[in-house]
Amino acid sequence: MDPALRTAATGMAAQQTRSEVIANNLANVNTTAFKRSRAHFEDLLYQTVQGSTVVGAPDANSLPAIQVGRGTRLAGVQRVQQQGPIEQTERPLDIAIEGEGFFQVQLPNGSVGYTRDGSFGVSDTGTLVTSEGYTVIPGIKVPDDSTEIAISATGVVTATRGSDKTQTEIGRIELARFMNPAGLLAQGENVYLETPASGAAVVGYPSEDGMGRLLQGSLEGSNVEIVQEMVDMITAMRAYEINSKAIKNAEEMMSIANGMIR
Amino acid sequence: MPDGIAAAASALRYYERRQEIVANNLANANTEGFKAERIFARLVGDSHPAPDTATDLRRGTFRETGGALDLATDSDGFFVVNTPQGERLSRGGSLQLAPDGILTDSAGHALLGEKGVITLGPGTVTIDRDGLVAVDGEPMDRIRMESLPPGTDAQHDAGTLFLPGATRQQLALGSRSVKQGFVEDSNVNTVSTMVDMISVQRAYANAAKALTTLDGIRATISNDLGKVPG
Repeated sequence: MDPALRTAATGMAAQQTRSEVIANNLANVNTTAFKRSRAHFEDLLYQTVQGSTVVGAPDANSLPAIQVGRGTRLAGVQRVQQQGPIEQTERPLDIAIEGEGFFQVQLPNGSVGYTRDGSFGVSDTGTLVTSEGYTVIPGIKVPDDSTEIAISATGVVTATRGSDKTQTEIGRIELARFMNPAGLLAQGENVYLETPASGAAVVGYPSEDGMGRLLQGSLEGSNVEIVQEMVDMITAMRAYEINSKAIKNAEEMMSIANGMIR
Repeated sequence: MPDGIAAAASALRYYERRQEIVANNLANANTEGFKAERIFARLVGDSHPAPDTATDLRRGTFRETGGALDLATDSDGFFVVNTPQGERLSRGGSLQLAPDGILTDSAGHALLGEKGVITLGPGTVTIDRDGLVAVDGEPMDRIRMESLPPGTDAQHDAGTLFLPGATRQQLALGSRSVKQGFVEDSNVNTVSTMVDMISVQRAYANAAKALTTLDGIRATISNDLGKVPG
């Protein structure tokens, strides 16, 4: 009976982890370009128990070997890299990616980070930076006298300069794409890092070779769907409850066994 | 004389085992690709129930995830993964890429194709109904799929895997129904499992009662029967 208790306890622990993941998804329901996570589980080792001897059995029938599982464990938490809804902001330096790809940003430690959060700004030195202040690769300089910035679907950044409104191309935004974006490592601040599981970054221009296109004046919203998360939360809660019932049931059976000797 | 106490003890042992199996099914009610274990009693001798199990291979519901490396199959077949203990069968799940581009399951076991391990380069991965893996439209390898011979009981292994049978059978093309971007949920029915759990407890109490009653009869026989009244 003791194994039944521990088996049910692993089930409760799993559901608790699942609730934590759901809580984080719900907390980020309004985070720009947030991608929801999903916890998934696998079963634990199986123990093969022979039916063993049956007391007083006249014919030694061969008893079937049966497998008893010992519970569940967390196999991993995966990020679901689905497109979030595109929200219009009308701010010229807000850029959403519709389709695959990530903006590349230069992190302070020298490595390259990847983000889909395109709420950019211009730093004091005139470079295009993210809202956290990381330079967007390949460092686009916005001239001091520019009055308007246009970003095309293919990533070409054009500045309208001076009083005579001359149009100058000042750079082109590049995107990076991964074979398995779910394998990227979340770094916080909407930034992801490349990992062996994500595969190497493939760099290219927007709207080319399977890259998504850029939309100026828009941002990508969070891909968390509240209803979906609520449903998941209810199932996690019920599964937690049901595992606690299994513990209670095993406990009551033990108490029955204890009560046999008066 | 039929040994009633021994039979009642076998029944108690059977229900304890049954509770362990039920607890494992419930613990895995949200484990992707999990197949519930059914337990039933077999009569050994003339009065002793012995536990026997079978794996319930009915399909779980499919959940759309949109992930390029999430894989499920709407057939009776299995994918084949390579573990340190040998080849194992799997119902799919969330795959990932090892550092060298090898396609693996979430525990890091390589998923096997017809040409061995599947190594993918950068690009967009598509997997068609028959398990053909393509990167940017260029076919790389076909995922190996096997089915268990009819009538065999699938043996569980840890990590939501199954042991292949003695005879290996390839699943025919056209009947593989591989689904990319889906995962298969656990096929545990929590409601019926819960009902099962209640009946286990009641039956256990009944068997315990039978045992104490038989014990009481013996106590009467040995302590009271020979007594001279008065």
